[in-house]
Amino acid sequence: MKQELAGRITVAGVGTTRYGKLPEYDAYDLGVWALKAALEDCGLSFDDVDGLIINRIPDYQRFGEITGINPRYTTITPGQGRFSGICIQTAVAVIAAGMADVIALVYGNNGRSAGDHYGGASDAYGSGGAGTWFPYGMTSPGAFHALMMRRHMEQYGTTTEQLGAIAAAFRKHASLNPDAVMRTPFTLEEDRAARYICEPLRLLDYCLINDGGVAMILTSAERARHLRKPPVYLRGFAQASALAGSTFPPDDYWRAPMQRVAAEVYAMAGAGPADMDALMIYDNFTPTVLFSLEGFGFCPAGESGPWVADGKLELGGAFPTNTSGGHLSESYMQGWALNVEAVRQVRGECGARQVAGANLVQYMTAAPVITSIIYGSEAAAA
Amino acid sequence: MEAKPLPPDDPANRPFWEGAKRGILVLQRCLDCGRHRFPAARYCAQCRGERSEWVETRGVGAVESWCSFHKAYWPAFERDVPYDVVQVRLDEGVRVFSNLVGVPRERIRSGLRVRAHFEAVTPTATLVKFVPL
Repeated sequence: MKQELAGRITVAGVGTTRYGKLPEYDAYDLGVWALKAALEDCGLSFDDVDGLIINRIPDYQRFGEITGINPRYTTITPGQGRFSGICIQTAVAVIAAGMADVIALVYGNNGRSAGDHYGGASDAYGSGGAGTWFPYGMTSPGAFHALMMRRHMEQYGTTTEQLGAIAAAFRKHASLNPDAVMRTPFTLEEDRAARYICEPLRLLDYCLINDGGVAMILTSAERARHLRKPPVYLRGFAQASALAGSTFPPDDYWRAPMQRVAAEVYAMAGAGPADMDALMIYDNFTPTVLFSLEGFGFCPAGESGPWVADGKLELGGAFPTNTSGGHLSESYMQGWALNVEAVRQVRGECGARQVAGANLVQYMTAAPVITSIIYGSEAAAA
Repeated sequence: MEAKPLPPDDPANRPFWEGAKRGILVLQRCLDCGRHRFPAARYCAQCRGERSEWVETRGVGAVESWCSFHKAYWPAFERDVPYDVVQVRLDEGVRVFSNLVGVPRERIRSGLRVRAHFEAVTPTATLVKFVPL
């Protein structure tokens, strides 16, 4: 059943707001802004939307009220980055089941203006038990990833300079992206000079916190062919999780569930890692990029550090990655903007940062829920 | 001066903190499959059994990883930065985050064997930290 869905559902429209500090807009406003842009992108109207998937925006009912829509299918998901991939896969299933024809996926994040913190008393990372460890000073998703990175360094000899190569590559890409929040390139020396937040991670290993919104319009291939832009096909998608014991870092850096997702997503797309023209890797922190590359089989376990250090992730390299600048430098849109960048790369809309002939682009997230989606052009099906 | 956060007063976890006050590391143990757990939970995540007891342990384990906070997320930690947090796996299989006492940063490594060290932070709260075995 799932295999039969390969290439049947498409992204018809994408929309993004400006990113940065937008104090005049709340999360709902940012979502509406992005959705208007996504509908304009594909030439559909609010009246065509009959499925609504909301992420991070606090309330679906209010969102429907302020946009004046009455979808056939409605759901809402928690504001965690892993849910972008989950929502997109849900949309595919809902369309395939005939429960909706045109799904709007809408994300709004006013974290910068709202003064969001990812550590301290409001820390809700993990499965909610974080308060138990506050007396020892343990808090924040950054520390969780610092613990994983330290273990990787001990186990395999990975270095923080190798993390710097990731951050510097994404910043270089952001310098070519007019929408990116952080566009000034930095050298590895400048990266090393940045202050530690939670050692071994430094400031530039952390994603940004900013305001913005993203929307995507998904529909069937048949319907999308009559719309404004060439459809971008979901050639493969897969999901797995590692929820058991997930208050603590996984022993295997999520490798086993990622390997299951990789096997499934590549089989569905009829392609392998070497066929990918560009990668969009969920980069909440630089080490996640290393773990993803190992888990999805781009390099052997433990070898991601040296693997990223020679420019493979840069435009012009073997696997241009996070060509928008990603969460580290474009905007922390919790996976949504990376999926949009994948679509824009396949469409050839990325200007100075365009990967020539990008026919297959893979999105992947390493987290307690692992997702991956392979986007392809019409040509990639042939 | 603002105080550091204290353990949440969750009635389910009281035996653990009461044990700490007596200098004993106490864990919840499933009466159906024998697996230890902390923090407390009604059901065992391995066998989903509901019957459990609290048992005394030796409080011995090994460091799995560590990190050093250079940013203070609470004002009361400002005087401590940079401070280290360790991830310890107790021999019973339960994991905890904690601090090492009396170990310079350059001597911390994964695999370091440690035992619980009890530190009274208020008259009612004792934290479970670790020292080398």
